[in-house]
Amino acid sequence: MKTERIAELLRASSADAWEIIDSRIKGWEFYFIRHELDQNRAKDVEHVTIRVYKNIGEEAMGSASARIAVSETEENVKKTIDDLVYQASLVRNKPYRLNPPRDFEPMPEYSGSVEAEAEAFINAMNSVRETETEDINSFEIFTDSVERRLINSEGIDITEKYPSSKVEVVVNARKDGHEIELYRLYDLGSCDRDGLVRDVEEVLQIGKDKLIAVPTPAIGTSPVVFSTDAALEIYGYFLDNLNAAYAVRGMTSFELGKPMAEDIRGDKVTLNAVRYMEGSPSNFACDAEGSPIRDLCMIDAGVPKAWCGSRMFTQYMGLDDAFDISNWEVSGGSRSAAELRKGNFLEVVEFSDFQVDSMTGDIFGEIRLGYLHRDGNVIPVSGGSVSGSMRDNIPEMYMSKETRRYSSARVPAVTRLEKVTVSGISGEDQ
Amino acid sequence: MKAPFSKYLDALTPGLRKLIDLLSAHYDYVSVLSTDSKGLMLRISQHSKSVGNQTMTTERGTVVRVYRGGLYSEYALDSFDPERPEETAEAIRKTLDAQLELLKRTGVKPFETGKLSDEPLEIFVERETEYLPEDCEISGMVEKFSAISDRGMAMSEYMLDCMVNVQSTHVCKLFLTKNRYLRQSYVYSEGAVAAILAKDGQNKFGYKSLSGLCGFELFDDIDSKLKGAVDTALELLDADRIEPGEYEIITSPEVSGLIAHEAFGHGVEMDMFVKGRALGAEYIDKRVGSELCTMHEGALCAENVTSYAFDDEGIPAGDVTEIDRGILRTGICDALAALRLGTVPTGNGKRENFEHKVYTRMTNTIFDSGSDTLEDMIKSVKHGYLLEGMDSGMEDPKHWGIQCIITLGREIKDGAFTGKIVAPVIMTGYVPDLLGNISMASADRLVFGSGGCGKGHKEWVKVADGGPYLKTVARLG
Repeated sequence: MKTERIAELLRASSADAWEIIDSRIKGWEFYFIRHELDQNRAKDVEHVTIRVYKNIGEEAMGSASARIAVSETEENVKKTIDDLVYQASLVRNKPYRLNPPRDFEPMPEYSGSVEAEAEAFINAMNSVRETETEDINSFEIFTDSVERRLINSEGIDITEKYPSSKVEVVVNARKDGHEIELYRLYDLGSCDRDGLVRDVEEVLQIGKDKLIAVPTPAIGTSPVVFSTDAALEIYGYFLDNLNAAYAVRGMTSFELGKPMAEDIRGDKVTLNAVRYMEGSPSNFACDAEGSPIRDLCMIDAGVPKAWCGSRMFTQYMGLDDAFDISNWEVSGGSRSAAELRKGNFLEVVEFSDFQVDSMTGDIFGEIRLGYLHRDGNVIPVSGGSVSGSMRDNIPEMYMSKETRRYSSARVPAVTRLEKVTVSGISGEDQ
Repeated sequence: MKAPFSKYLDALTPGLRKLIDLLSAHYDYVSVLSTDSKGLMLRISQHSKSVGNQTMTTERGTVVRVYRGGLYSEYALDSFDPERPEETAEAIRKTLDAQLELLKRTGVKPFETGKLSDEPLEIFVERETEYLPEDCEISGMVEKFSAISDRGMAMSEYMLDCMVNVQSTHVCKLFLTKNRYLRQSYVYSEGAVAAILAKDGQNKFGYKSLSGLCGFELFDDIDSKLKGAVDTALELLDADRIEPGEYEIITSPEVSGLIAHEAFGHGVEMDMFVKGRALGAEYIDKRVGSELCTMHEGALCAENVTSYAFDDEGIPAGDVTEIDRGILRTGICDALAALRLGTVPTGNGKRENFEHKVYTRMTNTIFDSGSDTLEDMIKSVKHGYLLEGMDSGMEDPKHWGIQCIITLGREIKDGAFTGKIVAPVIMTGYVPDLLGNISMASADRLVFGSGGCGKGHKEWVKVADGGPYLKTVARLG
């Protein structure tokens, strides 16, 4: 069923407010084993989600949502809307107002195609310099062209078209009959051939070192350096704690205008929302609820300055111009990457699955490859884990002047946390 | 009652058969998977309540697989018109031909694969359920779950929020080839009660989950999960950090399940054998665990969230003994990986949804029970931990490493609990060591299906896993 017709049915319903998000997606996918094609796929789909709102007296409002299949009959869509209105009347939330139409600057129009993007990605992957001992095991390319339309009962009708791509790469390195693998998943917009090739070749180089890695010793509390996309987890902790949903639920200790920690001895975090970021897959003029996105300082030198998040929770906080952040950047710190790599420390370049729990601040990850810097020596290590707490590390963390972009975030290229516990597997300190 | 098979899919069938005929003039093999899965989701907390019809596995659409010249190709769409199959056939051919042109331009050759067999098979399964998510009346449930949330808030001065999240999905799938006509309909449900507490600026989170191959009747006694969720979060408030090291451990059934999933769940997904990404390929018929270690995998192993009758490639569900008393016997396999490896598929070809590719995926992955009692297991520990609750895990099939993030550990010294709680606990290690050190296993076992699996970092599907209490040795940090 056409989106316009769904909108007409919603207007004619007893919903007090409503919104539709309609995403039309054309996608091409290619799966490779080594450089041979395992499978090619294409998709042509449309995701339509509606949400209806129903006032419950003057002090409450409920909402209910549904995915509408494009093949659904008008009769069933009508029934779904009626069901949603009824269900919405049963879930009491504090009322808030949907976004009204507001002026915003559109993003540059995307004029690419999945065909062209896919070809660029295939050519990029085929141009990676491999050797007899370091090569690509397999890779998968996903290129989508998305046209997202948002309509709501307040009069918003916004359409944005953008590319959304993913490349998954597994590389091998081998020596004396022993083979290892490393994994990367890149979330991308359009194909940045040079950036992708450079990154994969860097991973191939890292693979060499994993071959000669020794078991990580138990070194106890140690400075740990993060120089990969694991840093996104660290800085994501700050972003999540600026979310209005965290604030309304009392789950964040952040307060606007109050430093995140007393006696900060290291670099202070400065985090900005960024409207447009070259190469990002998330360059949207408005968020998914129609709030215009703009450049905005969220944390200035360790002091939270603004909340972000969904319309519901930002309205609960009395914020009318807040938005859900798409792109964000963390400013570089006071020292160079080389300076942060001085002294004794562990640099981890490959985790199984590094995580920072935004709610508890807990840090954890199994080490697949690290470099132990001890008294001027550098030893590749593998195994064991890192653990710690953001609360213990915010007072002394260091960020390189140099920054690096991963997907929709630009963060310091090197981040150093001073209080991380390293649980080794060699049984004793070396 | 029986969960009725989708009338929409039945109505589509003649058109899909025609589509197969049309495409068969150009391709050597054609199959179609069409889905129509409906859901209901309720999320109740102190700060927001929501209801919706989307769950992780709700979907409606069609994916067509074709084969020619050694290459398999797929086309996914959600607007198939059964009155106009010619239009769809034309769109599929045109798009896939354009892809082949691109591949020619870029010099790409196919990974030559044989043709899938198409032996005649007919399956029609409608599983029992008390409720269908699409027909559920939610008014009583909103009140009931809100009352649970309110009761949770009153259980501790440190409560920030108490959530009740439940969802149910009615899965309907139709698989067609020239010779196969498979239909299945079943309902599965899952839910959790979760508590968030804060004390001295520290937040802690505790939850208890439930899942089953049934409808919303699963949640009749969901309030029994409340105390466990709040107690867990309260215990975490005063938990200590663990002293990193190697310990004797007893894993609760939930943690045993996590180990099963991460260790020789992912370790024997045979699409990884094709790519040379799994060490397991070299260890078939070799010892990878102790005599007490027997592990099953398959949709028929248990009745839980992923207990289907056939997989997304039209292969009947199975029950595979992966590890038999410590010896790795076989892996699990999707249909194309089986062709490439010269073996038989095990009914483990799964898609995130019709828009996604098939990979070899887990269903129910479960350790067999032993004969020990938990009491005897605790008494046997000199210094170690009983590990409870699972937060996440990550596999490493190439090197047999494992990472499990566990909610908490209860310290045991000289055969008795000391009362000390440690959290969070990161369990890491080398899988054969972990399984090789299994020295005791309890007689009971449980299966958990409230989680999902991303096969690394994407492609999310429902899985279930479990086992008994197991005693082994692991490195904790």
